[in-house]
Amino acid sequence: MSLILNGDEVEAGGSVLDAVLAAGIELPHLCKDDNLPAIGACRTCLVEADGRIVAACSFPASMAKRVDTETKTARRIRRGVLELTLAMQAERGDEGGPLAGETASTASREGAAVDRFAVRTGRAVDATSPFFSFHEAACILCGRCVVACQDLQHISAIGLAGRGRDTRVTPGAADTFRESICTSCGSCVAACPTSALRPRGGAE
Amino acid sequence: MTRQVPSTCPYCGVGCGIVISVAGERIVWVDDQPGNLSSEGMLCVKGRFGTTFVNHRDRLATPLIRRGGELQPASWDEALDLVAMRFAEHRGRFGSFASAKATNEDAFIQQKFVRLVMGTNNIDHCTRLCHSPSVEAMLQQFGSGATSNSYSDYEASSCIMLVGCDPGSNHPVIASRMRRAIDTRGTRLIVVNPRRIDMCDRATIFLQSRPGTDVSLFNGMARAILDAGLANTGFIAARTEGYEAWLAAVREVTVEQCAEVCGVAAEDLRMAALLYANPPQLDAREPGSCLVWGMGVTQHTNGTDNAHALLNLALFTGQLGRPGSGVSPLRGQNNVQGCGDAGCIPDSLPGYQRYDEAVPAPFEELWGGGLPRVPGLKATDMVEQIAGGTIRAMYIVGENPLLSEPNLHHATELIRSLDFLVVQDLFLHETAQLADVVLPACSFAEKDGTFTNSERRVQRVRRAIAPVGESRPDWEIVCDIARRMCAHSGLDTRQFSYSGPAEIFAEMARLTPFLRGMSYERLDREGGLQWPCPEPGHPGTSYLYGESFPRGLGKFVPVRQAAAAEELPDTEYPLILNTGRMLYHWHGGTITRRVEALMERAGALPVAIHPDDAAAAGIVENDTVVLFSRRGRVSGAAVLTDSVRAGSVFIPFVRLGESAANFLTNSAYDAQSRIPEYKVCAVRIEKKRERKDAAGAPGIGRERA
Repeated sequence: MSLILNGDEVEAGGSVLDAVLAAGIELPHLCKDDNLPAIGACRTCLVEADGRIVAACSFPASMAKRVDTETKTARRIRRGVLELTLAMQAERGDEGGPLAGETASTASREGAAVDRFAVRTGRAVDATSPFFSFHEAACILCGRCVVACQDLQHISAIGLAGRGRDTRVTPGAADTFRESICTSCGSCVAACPTSALRPRGGAE
Repeated sequence: MTRQVPSTCPYCGVGCGIVISVAGERIVWVDDQPGNLSSEGMLCVKGRFGTTFVNHRDRLATPLIRRGGELQPASWDEALDLVAMRFAEHRGRFGSFASAKATNEDAFIQQKFVRLVMGTNNIDHCTRLCHSPSVEAMLQQFGSGATSNSYSDYEASSCIMLVGCDPGSNHPVIASRMRRAIDTRGTRLIVVNPRRIDMCDRATIFLQSRPGTDVSLFNGMARAILDAGLANTGFIAARTEGYEAWLAAVREVTVEQCAEVCGVAAEDLRMAALLYANPPQLDAREPGSCLVWGMGVTQHTNGTDNAHALLNLALFTGQLGRPGSGVSPLRGQNNVQGCGDAGCIPDSLPGYQRYDEAVPAPFEELWGGGLPRVPGLKATDMVEQIAGGTIRAMYIVGENPLLSEPNLHHATELIRSLDFLVVQDLFLHETAQLADVVLPACSFAEKDGTFTNSERRVQRVRRAIAPVGESRPDWEIVCDIARRMCAHSGLDTRQFSYSGPAEIFAEMARLTPFLRGMSYERLDREGGLQWPCPEPGHPGTSYLYGESFPRGLGKFVPVRQAAAAEELPDTEYPLILNTGRMLYHWHGGTITRRVEALMERAGALPVAIHPDDAAAAGIVENDTVVLFSRRGRVSGAAVLTDSVRAGSVFIPFVRLGESAANFLTNSAYDAQSRIPEYKVCAVRIEKKRERKDAAGAPGIGRERA
């Protein structure tokens, strides 16, 4: 299969995002880890496909003829989504950790303003595990950690609880990671794009 | 500046791909490798968070020589000269343990030194203590002693039977792959274990059998399969021999009798048998069953019988030699497969080549010297025969027998009585403390090489940081000792001069038919390769025995249930002690006790006891308890759980504080493989009189910050 991507014809299987990244084009994809299936939660990979705005991570390349990542509409909507995403983080800046700065660098590349919306207020910290800690203030609820735990390791120790602005990442039915069924494998830490989950020690 | 170095995890036999991030000369983060075919982007807590031991302050920085009773720092030249001189004096009374944590190249050089320079086959490694019965049984029945399939076969199977192993604790990424098969494909799981392990949450059938009754269990399953008419007659006729004699042994028992011996319900035993023999069709793939086992099968005085009984089942049902089926002894150490492949076993040369007429010739020709023909002593026998004077000097590399041998008080006495002991390792552990010379070795992060994992995949290990202190790679140290001794032995020093691990691997591949097609160049370009890989264009082999067995026909070996164990409970010692592993420690703990986060998570020895037994002894959760056997005592924190059978207790064999399970275990051995009976001995439990805060482990009850 082939499609016209930003004016060039490219061969493409899989998702539109796969084609975009394979072509070396930068595109935000905050909830899509290279190692995990698509979630389609963060909406930061929006592109224009045959005149429609679609999430590149979950739109099959075979269903698109012409994809543009940089149209005015796509850029404007992506920027808006990123500004909303940034408002979810009470904690700003680069906190270190394995994928630190993925949100920050994405926002600056897309020209998103840091302070357009009022920030979410959740600031819970779980430092009960000696291996990693969780900082709600840095979480954008992308769900990568949930997928890493559930669909990669098949442990299901992490979930999303609550609704709307009260949605939060929780260690399943337990109060703390230490008391949960977590096996401390760290796949969630590796998947987190904002360092809301970060290793203890050096990078903390 | 941070740099990334792809390598292979140093912990268990799964062999996960890792990417080590290094800043300066310190490991700052270990990430997974999504493209690795063994781990598929997964790691466990030890691999991801457990490598800080590499930079631990306890790392040995210089050689040590015992002077005036004390181990004192020495130069490399002093230490190596002394070792070479004393080893030369002890030819004929010398034995060596190789390390299943070191690389293939380290192992290959060590066995070359022991055979060619020391003139003995007294070389062995920790497989003696874990899967020697599996290897013995597989060699007899198939002609090869390795796992027959790949981890991907677990995911392609319709039924996995897990016997005497706890992958959730000891092979976590294999456990994840099995959970994926169960959750997404509906693969059925049978668990056979005296302990209810985590994987039981997903099991279709759980057989909580009595320790030591495996032969009855598997013969009973065979009888059930026979009665149901599910024997794979086509496979038996075309691919096996010895069927009638075996069948006669199976016909001596009924399913009900076997179930009674094992303490399980006959109906459960029958269901498990039929599920294994006739797994359900889940999708377009041909249904198959995988047999996966661990130390629960092997660490018994009847360990080899247990392994035979298990393998007979696979032959009887034809559940091997095609995708989604097979037999897998889960290998413990990161390179226990490779250490055996490299020839660190007393009865065969690299590649499991036995001392038949023609075999030593290519070795002697290439190495320019004669090889000893007398089979060597097995690890457990080397230690026992110190007393009689057969072994007076030992060279122990990357092993800590004074945590891993059974009946530690007895083993310590023997090791202490050696005339000359050299220990080469990362830390001054229990065995090293008794050495005459201690040589500091590099960790996995400081050297190049290869590890071979449980699915026969040879993978690259790459140097990420400079050697800590004056430590050196094992192969370099052995070469230095060997070169000092070559002149007296009429050998050419060039036999121990290598430009690096790539050249050693090339020599090993040349002498080992099933590795002949591999090279560093291929491993770097293509990633890990599974043996057999007999020529350079060969893609490697994901499963064995598709067409035939290395010995021709698969062989049934009749076995009958012997005594369950050498030492069983009595009035004085009324409980059965079972030993094993835990997720947050690695084996004896020499490494993981030097990872602060792991110690914070698991700093106290958990003693799992059934609530009924606890009530009888007046023990409540977290009490400090003392276990006594005829050989020693250990203390730990009581964990009340019905995951153990009433009448039995379980402790992991990690040493925490002064407590290590092997002070209790029995130095009784399986006759064929000489494996110790770690899994059964008789103990008594008491609440410690002076009650301390048993929660000891820091971190428990910590407030949410």
